Amino acid sequence: MNRLLCLVALIPGAAFAQGWGNVANQEEARFSWTAPLWPSFWMAWTPVTFALFCGIFGAMAVIATLEITRYRDGVERRGVFGLTTTLGDRLFITLLGTAYIFLAWLGIMGQPLWWPLGIAIAWGLFVFWKV
Amino acid sequence: MKTEYQKAWFFVLPVLFLVAFNALVPIMTVVNYSVQETFGNNVFFWQGLDWFEQILRSDRFQAALGRQFLFTFLILIIEVPLGIIIALSMPRKGFWVPVCLVTMALPMLIPWNVVGSMWNIFTLPKIGLLGYFLNDVLGINYDMTQQPISAWVTIIVMDVWHWTSLVVLLSYAGLVSIPDAYYQAAKIDGASPWKVFRYIQLPKMKTVLTIAILLRFMDSFNIYTEPFVLTGGGPGNSTTLLSIDLVKIALGQFDLGPAAAMSLIYFAITLLVSWLFYTLMTKDDAQ
Repeated sequence: MNRLLCLVALIPGAAFAQGWGNVANQEEARFSWTAPLWPSFWMAWTPVTFALFCGIFGAMAVIATLEITRYRDGVERRGVFGLTTTLGDRLFITLLGTAYIFLAWLGIMGQPLWWPLGIAIAWGLFVFWKV
Repeated sequence: MKTEYQKAWFFVLPVLFLVAFNALVPIMTVVNYSVQETFGNNVFFWQGLDWFEQILRSDRFQAALGRQFLFTFLILIIEVPLGIIIALSMPRKGFWVPVCLVTMALPMLIPWNVVGSMWNIFTLPKIGLLGYFLNDVLGINYDMTQQPISAWVTIIVMDVWHWTSLVVLLSYAGLVSIPDAYYQAAKIDGASPWKVFRYIQLPKMKTVLTIAILLRFMDSFNIYTEPFVLTGGGPGNSTTLLSIDLVKIALGQFDLGPAAAMSLIYFAITLLVSWLFYTLMTKDDAQ
């Protein structure tokens, strides 16, 4: 009899251990990179796309700042392709090339995209170094 | 090397703000759409890069892209030489100059959708002037509503009619800016007309021709209204160019995600070709 009582007492204990206390609580909203950022706004932002544009505009701002100050002030050079480029041109070539690297990989190989990410970084380094 | 006066870029800022509102904000929205799925009502679900993969691998997109490149290639290969020839044969001074210029400018003044309906009525096989003439007088089997070849010929002739003037006017502006001294020197050296064209007129027209080809490339690559009004993309899919297909996906099927992905791919192609073209054409000047 005692053994039975002990077993009965275990049931709510087991339920409690499995998170009985959390049943009525709402799940806490955690940050997600892919969830809508401002659901009531019309541009359908997500943190990922927001970060992407912050990156692009950030890079443009850095290069523009360099170009209009006396550190660079519109310095050009002729690279391996025979093109005369400034820093801004090189950023443009890098970004456009990156878009094509990713599109080509998506079309030919499909996801995931770690390999093209590496290729794109290598391409960017090459462009800023040599082009 | 040092380019002059970089601070002049500050004067471009007002335009930049304007462009930000009519171009940048929509493009950012399109990027956001291209990685999500929506069923309307401003509710979006994350989709990742699936749409890009799907579009790039779809036969429909590849076929439309192929037709688009074919169309642009044919347009450029006809309009540019034709425009140069017409510009060369136009008078340089006298009474006929304004007459020629105004006549040349007329097609460009007509709105695109009106051009489409004009050519539609003009080429319809039974009631159109051209359609009737070709079928019933010359006995050529021509029906742009039924035959893909006829439809292609029609949209290309229509575009040549509409936009060759642009190449003509720009080339003409380049031609009249050549001083007489060049021609006199060529005459003294006994240069043939071809040599005059190749070594005097063509180099002098290079800058304006660059602009003309670039404009014609972008306009013909993004063309929508004229073929849509004229053929509606038909018969079948034969004249469904990229922009017509894009509108079908975006507004006809309301697949905003795939349409956004497709328009970004479209944008990337236009950007690359324009940049390549401009860079290659202006490369020699920088040296």
